Amino acid sequence: MSAPTTNIPVAVTAGAASGTSGGQQPQPRTIAGSLPSARSLASRLLHGTPGRMRLFGLLGVLAAVLLGAISANALLASQAAVERAANNTEQVVRVQSIHVDLLRADAVATNAFLVGGLESADSRLRYEQALSRVATSLAKAAAAQPADGNALGALSVKVQAYAALVEQARSNNRLGLPVGAQYLTQASAGLRADAIPIVTQIVKANEDRSRKEFERSNSSLQLLVGVVSVIGLVALAVWLARRTHRYLNRSLSGAIVLLLVALFVAATQISGIGTATADVSRGNFQQAVSLANVTTAANDARSNESLTLIRRGSGASNEASWKADRDAVEKGLDGIRDGAELRGLWAAYVVAHEQVRKLDDGGRWDDAVKASTNTTAAGAAGTFDEFDQRVAQARDTAAKATVSTLQGLGGSAPLYAVLVALAALVASWLIVRGVGQRIEEYR
Amino acid sequence: MSTQGWRRRTGALATVVGIAALAGCSGVTYAETPLPAPVAAKPTTAAPATSAPTCSNATQSYDPLPSLPSRAEITDQKMRDLYTKGYLTVGVSADTYLFGARDPFTSSLEGFDIDMSKAVAKAIFGDPSKVQFRVITAAERLPLLQSKQVDMVARNMSMTCARWNDIAFSAEYYRSGQKVLVGKNLPNAANLGLADLKGKKVCAPTGTTSLTKLQQVAAQSSGGPEVVTAPNHTGCLVLFQQGKADAITGDDTVLAGLAAQDPNTVITKAKAITAEPYGLGFNKADTYLARYVNRVIADLEADGEWKAIYNRWLAAPLGPAPAPPTPVYGR
Repeated sequence: MSAPTTNIPVAVTAGAASGTSGGQQPQPRTIAGSLPSARSLASRLLHGTPGRMRLFGLLGVLAAVLLGAISANALLASQAAVERAANNTEQVVRVQSIHVDLLRADAVATNAFLVGGLESADSRLRYEQALSRVATSLAKAAAAQPADGNALGALSVKVQAYAALVEQARSNNRLGLPVGAQYLTQASAGLRADAIPIVTQIVKANEDRSRKEFERSNSSLQLLVGVVSVIGLVALAVWLARRTHRYLNRSLSGAIVLLLVALFVAATQISGIGTATADVSRGNFQQAVSLANVTTAANDARSNESLTLIRRGSGASNEASWKADRDAVEKGLDGIRDGAELRGLWAAYVVAHEQVRKLDDGGRWDDAVKASTNTTAAGAAGTFDEFDQRVAQARDTAAKATVSTLQGLGGSAPLYAVLVALAALVASWLIVRGVGQRIEEYR
Repeated sequence: MSTQGWRRRTGALATVVGIAALAGCSGVTYAETPLPAPVAAKPTTAAPATSAPTCSNATQSYDPLPSLPSRAEITDQKMRDLYTKGYLTVGVSADTYLFGARDPFTSSLEGFDIDMSKAVAKAIFGDPSKVQFRVITAAERLPLLQSKQVDMVARNMSMTCARWNDIAFSAEYYRSGQKVLVGKNLPNAANLGLADLKGKKVCAPTGTTSLTKLQQVAAQSSGGPEVVTAPNHTGCLVLFQQGKADAITGDDTVLAGLAAQDPNTVITKAKAITAEPYGLGFNKADTYLARYVNRVIADLEADGEWKAIYNRWLAAPLGPAPAPPTPVYGR
């Protein structure tokens, strides 16, 4: 650092030979003395070839600092984006489980109604567990993403309305009054018309956020600025070499090499994070999203099966919904890795469902209800529960893998950011030293 | 000069990119998650009633068969097809307490109309269980008969001149009348008539004669009742219990079923606004089946079975069975 500072008065004397400031020559050059004429000092500093060397040297330092700052920032931004992607993915999974649990609660409630009589303690417990999970997840989801707050609030209102209607249906049912059935119908219809669209909207918003963060995680574009900086430094080195006819400036070359290494390390790190995230996005994340869609469609199908039977001959629209759900499930399962087992379980349920429809369409409603609520391996309830459990497990596994992989990514990014920033500072010092050396030699 | 320009430009570019990059460092804020666009609520008031065609023989049905023929004796092709099918598909209500309602404990359908259907099945097939019930709404009664998706409708259906244009009826098997059910909290609740319910929300199911009559009353007097509809009578009771309707209008028998489910309601003593003759509905072409069923109804009334069915369901709210309605034949 000493070389350039000693150079400054030297340069001033060189410029002063022309006599413009000759009168002030005996005065010591203090900061206080130069303050009134900072402008003239600047023009003196930048005058002539040494002045240009000084200016370019300053630009070189700026380029090095910029490179360091941007590379460090890009590293930290990538890591932050991956972290946000993980959080958004967690939110997607959380809200999708709200979706599934709402449909599960509804399937349990309608099925208990279909069986007739007082509902079993077991089915009551399953309904309550599903709704408790919904309530807990709603609070957690609201805490995790403030942007979802409004929508989750609206959803919470609808869920409460649903639960209240089901309770009314239940108490009327206990009294043996047909109006209970009407309350249940209203509850189911309201759930699908009011609550589910909000859930779908929240899931979509968070999926979009996740995808955006997956894109942001590869911030290597920012490094182009670093490349420009290095090119500028090389240009400076070439210019210096031409001016001074001394080809190798060790400090400056050292700085350039150091910055190139820093840039390379940053780029490798960032593209590594980017590639890994892209893999997750195409792999486990896609898998988790598809499986969640399969789970919701399957539970909706099961509810529709019950509603078709409850409506006793007038459930054609519910059977049409069932078919749409089946298509959604089968399409979703097609893209699943190792989906053969799930496809087999689903096919077993479809067979059981078709048996239910055959019985009902053939005028044997009572037998159709028995087949639909049959929890053995041959019944619709049994085959469905088996599928539902397995697909939910697979979804949880994929979701957990997504989140944990993302959380593991870019963990070392802050360390590299610090190293890159330090390298840039060292390079800045080398540039100052290298350019200062030439200025001194030029004299 | 050009190098200076280049320098300035790169400098500017570097600054801009640098600032943008540093801005990217600060936290990302997301736009508020949008709520789904609200679906425009369907208007609750149905189209104003058109004046129904009038005639003097709404209750007149086909002559009954002289006696119930055995299966071998029947030559009518549609009736023979029914035997081949092996059971009778009947459109019924599952929420009209006492007439056609699902018992929440056994899940089976029961009521006056259900027993009538079983009696018809017993006459045709010799087995009251040879009947497939299809739960339908009031508005589905005519379309399902016309498209032959049900063989018969037993769902407290009033015989009207307009309906005779679309379907066939059996002889009258029950005589009802349109009344009003109100909350006990209304002043002088027990004596209110439909026309007294000025500005009150009155509910009637879509596709019923009760709704037509309600719309006529609402149109007659300015500041008359406000019309609210639901898919069925129980739907009206739900609206009533939720405070979205102040009163329900319908046939007295149906209202009796509703009143039995909510002790806060009362059927007003005001005279029935209309007479509602119930008939079993058939496809317009199924005249042979209608004549067959007319024989069944006549036999039920003659041997006391009709009274037994009446007493089983309606004696508690409406008192012991009156004389069955007098059938009118000759159509």
